[in-house]
Amino acid sequence: MMGRLPIAKMFAATIVLTVVISAVMVPINWDGQGASTAAPKIDDLLNVMIVLSSFVFSLVMVMLFYALWKFKAKPGDESDGEPIHGNTRLEVAWTLIPTIIVLFGAGYSWSVLSDIEEVGDHPLTVDVFSQQYAWSFGYPGKDNAYSQGELHVPLDRQVQFKMHSLDVIHSFWVPEWRIKKDNVPGITTTAIVTPDKPGAYQLICTELCGFGHASMRAKVVVEPAADFRKWIAGLKEKVPDPYLETIRQDTETDPIPLGAGGA
Amino acid sequence: MVAAIKQPGWIRGLLGAVLAAAFGVGLVVVLRDISGLPIWQTEQTGYPHVVVPLVTGPLGFLAGFGCFDYWLRWAAGMPTIPEDHSQHGAKSWKDYFRFNTDHKVIGIQYIVTTFFFFFVGGLMAMLIRAELAQPGTQIVDAATYNSLFSTHAVLMIFVFVIPVFAGIANYVLPLMIGAPDMAFPRLNALSFWMLPLAGLLFIGSFLAPGGAFDAGWTGYAPLSTGAPLGQSFFNLGVQFAGASSIATALNFLVTIITMRAPGMTFWRMPLLVWANLSTSLLVVAATPFIAGAQFMVLFDRALGTQFFQFAGGGDVVSYQHIFWFYSHPAVYIMMLPGFGIISEVISTHARKPIFGYRLMALALIGIVVLSYSVWAHHMFVAGMFSWLRVPMMITTLLIAVPTGIKIFSWLGTLYFGKIHTYSTAMLFALAFIVTFTIGGISGVMLGMVPIDIHVSDTYFIVAHIHFVLFGGSVFTIFAGIYHWFPKMTGRMYDEKLGRVHFWGTVIGTWVTFIPMHWVGMDGMPRRVADYATQFGEWNLLISCGAFMLGAVQLVFLYNMIVSWRFGPRADANPWRANTIEWQVSSPPPIFNFDEIPRVVGGPYEFGVPGARHAIMAGDGAEAAKPEPTVVGQT
Amino acid sequence: MESATVALGHTHEEEHHGPPEANQSSRIDRQTLGIFLFIVSEIMLFGAFFASYFFLRVVVDPPTWPPHPYELPVPVAGINTAILVSSSFTIHYALESIRRGNRNGLKLGLVLTWLLGATFLFIQINEYVHIGFSARDLAFGSIFYGLTGLHGAHVFVGLMLLSFATIRAFRGHFGPKAKDHLGVEVPGIYWHFVDVMWIIVYTAVYIL
Ligand code: HEA
Ligand code: HEA
Ligand code: CUA
Ligand SMILES: [Cu+2]
Repeated sequence: MMGRLPIAKMFAATIVLTVVISAVMVPINWDGQGASTAAPKIDDLLNVMIVLSSFVFSLVMVMLFYALWKFKAKPGDESDGEPIHGNTRLEVAWTLIPTIIVLFGAGYSWSVLSDIEEVGDHPLTVDVFSQQYAWSFGYPGKDNAYSQGELHVPLDRQVQFKMHSLDVIHSFWVPEWRIKKDNVPGITTTAIVTPDKPGAYQLICTELCGFGHASMRAKVVVEPAADFRKWIAGLKEKVPDPYLETIRQDTETDPIPLGAGGA
Repeated sequence: MVAAIKQPGWIRGLLGAVLAAAFGVGLVVVLRDISGLPIWQTEQTGYPHVVVPLVTGPLGFLAGFGCFDYWLRWAAGMPTIPEDHSQHGAKSWKDYFRFNTDHKVIGIQYIVTTFFFFFVGGLMAMLIRAELAQPGTQIVDAATYNSLFSTHAVLMIFVFVIPVFAGIANYVLPLMIGAPDMAFPRLNALSFWMLPLAGLLFIGSFLAPGGAFDAGWTGYAPLSTGAPLGQSFFNLGVQFAGASSIATALNFLVTIITMRAPGMTFWRMPLLVWANLSTSLLVVAATPFIAGAQFMVLFDRALGTQFFQFAGGGDVVSYQHIFWFYSHPAVYIMMLPGFGIISEVISTHARKPIFGYRLMALALIGIVVLSYSVWAHHMFVAGMFSWLRVPMMITTLLIAVPTGIKIFSWLGTLYFGKIHTYSTAMLFALAFIVTFTIGGISGVMLGMVPIDIHVSDTYFIVAHIHFVLFGGSVFTIFAGIYHWFPKMTGRMYDEKLGRVHFWGTVIGTWVTFIPMHWVGMDGMPRRVADYATQFGEWNLLISCGAFMLGAVQLVFLYNMIVSWRFGPRADANPWRANTIEWQVSSPPPIFNFDEIPRVVGGPYEFGVPGARHAIMAGDGAEAAKPEPTVVGQT
Repeated sequence: MESATVALGHTHEEEHHGPPEANQSSRIDRQTLGIFLFIVSEIMLFGAFFASYFFLRVVVDPPTWPPHPYELPVPVAGINTAILVSSSFTIHYALESIRRGNRNGLKLGLVLTWLLGATFLFIQINEYVHIGFSARDLAFGSIFYGLTGLHGAHVFVGLMLLSFATIRAFRGHFGPKAKDHLGVEVPGIYWHFVDVMWIIVYTAVYIL
């Protein structure tokens, strides 16, 4: 039965379509500007998936439209199609191919995940405090210097964020860093990032937290170590005691390295 | 008047509602008095004087309306009224507003009610899009906006997509398997009448002080446990909707297992039956989890329990685990029946046996099993045990395999067939394959933890949601409605208007939901009434798409209403299908069959010489002679 | 209410004259299958609360469980357990009796079961009154009342069903033929489920 189909031509068409779609989509920088060591890795993963997905999509399109073009009933043709009930080889094929694709995707994602969550030797620890509807930050390493609504981090140094929420769930997202983590009342959540482009970015709250959710933003500044140290020195406030109390009470959820599925 | 109060119906129902509600208030007052609390409580979220009546009132309505009469007489050991079938069938449109035990009438009741909620939810979507057409806040403030998308989603999910499938299956499934009715007709009617109550609770929450529930359809604690009264309407509405769908699922399972016509082995069941079998398995075992989750939230709110209050030793994230353990299977509850519909439509209009029938059925079961093992893919960034992410990523991605089997088998069905595209049902079925593949692929990307870390809770999610739910579920619903419209109403719909609706919907879907992927990846979070100006143009385009999408739904509405009333008469089997429901008159006789048909072959034996699915009473794979009593016609 | 609907379900099509008799395509009858499926979803409802129990006790992992000063009247609850379990035997006796056509045995069994169930509920409520902490006191209190209360509600529903069966028994319904005592058998199955579930709840909440 398959013998009567131009399999080779259809496959070629699929490949061509895949190439065309990929050629259009891969060059576009979907995730916007990247500003952390994790960004390129995640974007590459995305691009690989775009190529694989456009292959799957092209396959479906070619199969669909070829059938529509070739097997459309002539007007007034009331007869039935051929009584074909299936084809084991085909069914095995379209069970195996997707399996291979997704397992490959899973493995690749896993490696990227353990890669971007690798904790270095001495990361700079920053405490993040979120509440309806504001962000503030503490620097335990710098005797708890405290900054409201503005986060500064040094360039090219790994930062480990320890996140604490004081009321409902919020979520910490800097699109350019490609990292996101919920701040959950009662527990400490952790995120790892190594900023590698100086500049000013925006910290966005991405977990619905009330009517102020849309406006719960903070300024993020990535700057050379020297400027960073200057800025810290300029900070007058210290982290308020109730906040320190929160840090003490919050239970630490499992440390990140375990994160990559115990890799 | 007295008579009117005595016999079941609207008057007695409303009376029952009022009395039961009053009883509820009284109960609260008495209990508070006994336990020495101030009689009128003033806490923000509790409102027991509202919450309790919200439970008792609806129950009172159901009792008054006549849902329990038979059982109560039976329970009290009184002679039950000999079944005179007064509760069966519909002679006039009025009969659709009664407690009716005919699965065909109930099916119509379901479909009409749920589509009402679809339009209400859609209207809310229109408001959402109007607000989002430009950056800044124009028509609604942030709080109202949160209520809008929360109610939008809840209406669409709990009182549209999930029950409308139950409605379609209610109508065709007993016919398909050659059963005179569902296994528990009264339970069936009860399930239906719980539904409008749920919907009214959801919409009614707008009247609550503090506005409608606004914690999203996911209602995460502790935002929901601290929210104003409206949230309790959600907690309770979900209970009624949940009870309704559990009861229906139970009914389907029992019907399918115990009431198949002679010869209808499992491997001869149409795939729609298989699909509802697997869906019901999901509902029965998963829905109790959302009931549990919402009960706990309600208790945290009304009784001050500490389930999700970390200060009292509660666990915040546990809400999400319990919620998603239901709500992920729920997304397949919203898709599998659609798969069934597509199988029927494609094989019929391609005049071909389903390609790989058994694998199709097994794929359904595979999805059921897998979908219990993936819930945490909604929590990749939620601060749950991070070791759980990779295992759940793998199971999540594996779901692409059985789903892919279905997509490819539908495509395979088209080959060497005679594809007819004159019917709008077939058009929607074909378009579904395309849109759902896109939605599924975006889902697979979400399944990959590193990608999800970036796009979680952005418009990329919103895009995925609508490609699978609108481009997926709703397309299959349209396909199903068009496909069985002649069977249900006995009339044909207008194919020209159908095409307008089809093309409008397809284009609208793409224009509306494709750009959402882009703005999402580029940094636009979801659930925001206001956004950075850089996304202005795209959002304007999205809103325009949404409005045209909405506008063409009005064409659909017009087509359905007018055709139901004035459409040309449909004969028994306009699509020349094999399954049993097409072998009886359109609409089917009041008791479906004079004599239970005998099944002698598979359901899709197109082109097989001399093959035949069922032998109807007095022979005749052709239509049985139309019955005088016409069901489902206004 | 749901449970009532399922347990009593749908009475026999016998008195129908309209529709054709449905084909019985499985050995199990509708009511029994119905109640079993319903029990599946009931188990999952308990599952939701046990999931919560797991998080509150294992994941949150408070220093002590029960957190002092609270403690649980394990022995009293133990006696209560015995009472409820014994009611499983009485209901079984009731069913066996009607199978053998012994109406008095049926009535006796039902009444005994009902009384045992009521006693259980009474002791449970009494326990609540004297236990010394409320559902507001820590997640422990919440999940304690959550699980035992959910179960208590099921006992209550079970008692309703039993009262229906009892009333009908005294009004002379039910007979030895299998389909004539479904009204006893189906609530019976449910009652057994309620008992077994209590043993699990008791083990989890009081003993572990
Ligand atoms: C009908 C409803 C429906 C369906 C069917 C699906 C199907 C899928 N969904 Fe989706 N999902 C939702 C409704 C649905 N989803 C909703 C409502 C949300 C948001 C909830 C909220 O509000 O937060 C959500 C959110 C959601 C998330 C969480 C995102 C986040 O919040 O961070 C994830 C993550 O893994 C996900 C994954 C998937 C996957 C892998 C599938 C798979 O089942 C898809 C499988 C199908 C295909 C893959 C296409 C066909 C297959 C082939 C052609 C074979 C070859 C394919 C490949 C090899 C890739 N979905
Ligand atoms: C089956 C489910 C379903 C369906 C069918 C839809 C249909 C639509 N949805 Fe919705 N939606 C969800 C499920 C669904 N949605 C879910 C689960 C969420 C997540 C909520 C959350 O975050 O908690 C969501 C969220 C959501 C958002 C994001 C809100 C936010 O995060 O800030 C948006 C924004 O554009 C949106 C838009 C739409 C649109 C334009 C349609 C259109 O397809 C609607 C088309 C239908 C109609 C328009 C009705 C018919 C026409 C009329 C009633 C006449 C009036 C018409 C005019 C005035 C033109 N939906
Ligand atoms: Cu904080 Cu959203
Ligand atoms: Cu999911």
